[in-house]
Amino acid sequence: MSAPPDFHPAHHAPAVWFLKGLKAGLSVPAIVLFASYLGFGAVLQSVGFPIGAGLVSTLLVWALPAQLILIGGIAAGTALPAVALAVAISSIRLLPMVVSVAPYIRGPRRSLFWELVSAHYVAMTVWLEGLRMLPHLPGEARLPFTLGLGNMLVSISMMGTLAGFLVAGELPTPLAAGLLLLTPLSFTVLMVRNATGPTDWLALAAGFLLMPATLRLEGGLDLMIAGIGGGTFAYVAGRLLERRRRPS
Amino acid sequence: MTGAAMSEGAALLIVVLVGFLPTEIWRSLAVLAGRRLEEGSPVFHWVKAVATALLAAVVARLLFAPAGALAAVPLMLRLGAVAGGVAGFLAFRRSVFVGVLVGEILLIAGIMLSH
Repeated sequence: MSAPPDFHPAHHAPAVWFLKGLKAGLSVPAIVLFASYLGFGAVLQSVGFPIGAGLVSTLLVWALPAQLILIGGIAAGTALPAVALAVAISSIRLLPMVVSVAPYIRGPRRSLFWELVSAHYVAMTVWLEGLRMLPHLPGEARLPFTLGLGNMLVSISMMGTLAGFLVAGELPTPLAAGLLLLTPLSFTVLMVRNATGPTDWLALAAGFLLMPATLRLEGGLDLMIAGIGGGTFAYVAGRLLERRRRPS
Repeated sequence: MTGAAMSEGAALLIVVLVGFLPTEIWRSLAVLAGRRLEEGSPVFHWVKAVATALLAAVVARLLFAPAGALAAVPLMLRLGAVAGGVAGFLAFRRSVFVGVLVGEILLIAGIMLSH
C-alpha cells in the first residue's frame, strides 16, 4: 500500500529537506538514544571490545539489541556462526518495520539504490518517527528528510557510544556500576513495557531464567539454549495458553 | 572477554560479518521482496518469541555475569535494583524514565551504603 502523495505548498531543494531532517533528529528520542548508547559504550569498555569496531557497529548494525547480542555473544566465547545466527534472529523484526515505512520514505520516484540506503536507517526510532512525520511531507521531500533524520540519530548514538566508552573507565565505582546497569535496566523495563500477551511474558521469563542456569556450559551455548530454546518453549506454551483461554 | 583483548582489525571484521550482514539482510530483503511476508503468520510469532528470549538472555547475562565495576556489586543488589526499576515503572504511569531512574538510584544508594 503506497501513501497518497501529499502536495504540500512548500517546495525545497533536496538539500534543504536533508537539513530539515537533520534538525528533526535533534529531539527527545535522540536523548533516549544517546543515553542507551552511553550504556552500550560502557559495556564495550567493560568487556574489552575495541572502541573503533564498537563505533562501526553503531553505524553499520544500527540496532542496539543486535549489537548487545553481538558483543555479549563474543564476550561469552560463543562460536561466531552461532552469534551471527542469534543476531540474524534478533534483527528479523526489522523486516516488517521496513516493509511498513518504506512506502512513506520512497516518495514518487523509485530508485532501488536509495531505497536500500534509506532502509538502513530503519530501526525502532526512525520507524516510529518516520511513520509519525513522513506522511505530512511532500513526496519528493521524504527521502532526503529520512536520510537527514537517520544520519543525525546515528551520529548522536555514535557520540553516546564513544562517551560511554571513554567515561566508563574514569568514573568512581558507584557511578561506573550505574552506567553499566543502564543497559540491562532499561532493556528490562522496555521489555516489560512491550510485553502484551502470555507468549511475550513467557519468552521474557524463559530467556532471563535459563541464562543463569546455562552460564557454566562450555562453548558459549548459553545464548542458543536460552534464546532459541526459551523462545520456542514460550511460543508453544503461549499458543496453548491462548487456545485454552479462547475455546472455539 | 575471553583471553587477550581483541585487535581492532579482527573486531572490525567480526562487526561487519557477524553484526552488519545478519542485520542488514532483513532491511534489504524488506525492500526487495518484503511485501510477500505476512506480519501475523506463525513464523513471525515464533521469531518474536525467540528474539525476546534472546534479548532477555543477554540482559540476564549482563546482570548475572557482569564485567567491570558492576562485577563488584553483590548479585542481590544488581537484581534488586532492576526489580525496583520495574516496580517504579509500573507504579508511576508506566514511565520508562522513572523506572530507569528508580533502578539507578537504588543501585548507587546500595553501593554507597554498603561501603
